[in-house]
Amino acid sequence: MIEEDPEEHELVALRAVWTPAAACRVLEVGAGDGRLTRRYAHEVASVIAIDPDADAIADLRREFPHVDARAVGVEELSLSDHSVDVVLFAWSL
Amino acid sequence: MVDALRRAHRALRPGSVLLDLHPTASDVPVEVGARVTGRVDTGDGLRRHAAAAHALTRSVATQLFALERTLTFDFLTYGDSIEELRDYIAENWREARIGSAAVERTRDALRAAPGVKPRVREHVQVTRLLSPSLQTKV
Repeated sequence: MIEEDPEEHELVALRAVWTPAAACRVLEVGAGDGRLTRRYAHEVASVIAIDPDADAIADLRREFPHVDARAVGVEELSLSDHSVDVVLFAWSL
Repeated sequence: MVDALRRAHRALRPGSVLLDLHPTASDVPVEVGARVTGRVDTGDGLRRHAAAAHALTRSVATQLFALERTLTFDFLTYGDSIEELRDYIAENWREARIGSAAVERTRDALRAAPGVKPRVREHVQVTRLLSPSLQTKV
C-alpha cells in the first residue's frame, strides 16, 4: 500500500502558515482527489476545488459533497472578483 | 504561472491570503531507512519547480503580492515494495520514473533491512503571500 506523508509534515507546515477560520471561503487550485482538501474543508465556510483531472474531481466530489468541485484548470475558471479569502495552490503552480 | 497568480489575485479579497505548496527544484532521493539507494528521474520536474519559484518571486517584485512567510518540509511517500513505489510514481507523477539501477540497489538494501519500507523524499516549500491592496494589478 502506498502511504503519502504518514508523518503529516504537510499538515504541520500548512498549519504553521494558515489557521482556517469558520467564515473563510477557499479556492483550491490543483485539488486532485482532495488529499489536501480533507485537511481543512470541515473548518471553513466553503471550498471551491478545481483540477483539470475529471476522474480525480469525481472522487473528491464523492467524498466531499459539500465542496464545490469543478473539473477545470485555473485558466478556465469563472469566478467573481474579490470573492474568496484564501487561494491555495496545491502543488499546482 | 504568472497568469495563474494574476487570476488568484483577482479572485482574492484585498488583504487576504495566497498559499502555495510546491516541491523545490532539488533531487528526490529513494531511501531505505537512512540509506539513499538512488534518485527519482523527475523529467522536467526541476525546471517546472524552479519556474514556480520564479513566478512567486516575480509576483512579489511586481507588488502583486507581499511575501509573509516561507518554510520547507519533507514529504515522504512509502511503498510496501520498491516495485509498488516505482509503479505508483510512473502512473501518478508527471514524467517521473525510478530507473532500473535504483530499483536494483533498493532491492539489495531492502534484503539487508527486513521490515523497512522504501520511500522517496520530496523537499516542499510552503509560501504565504498577502494580496496587499484594492488596486488590481492586471
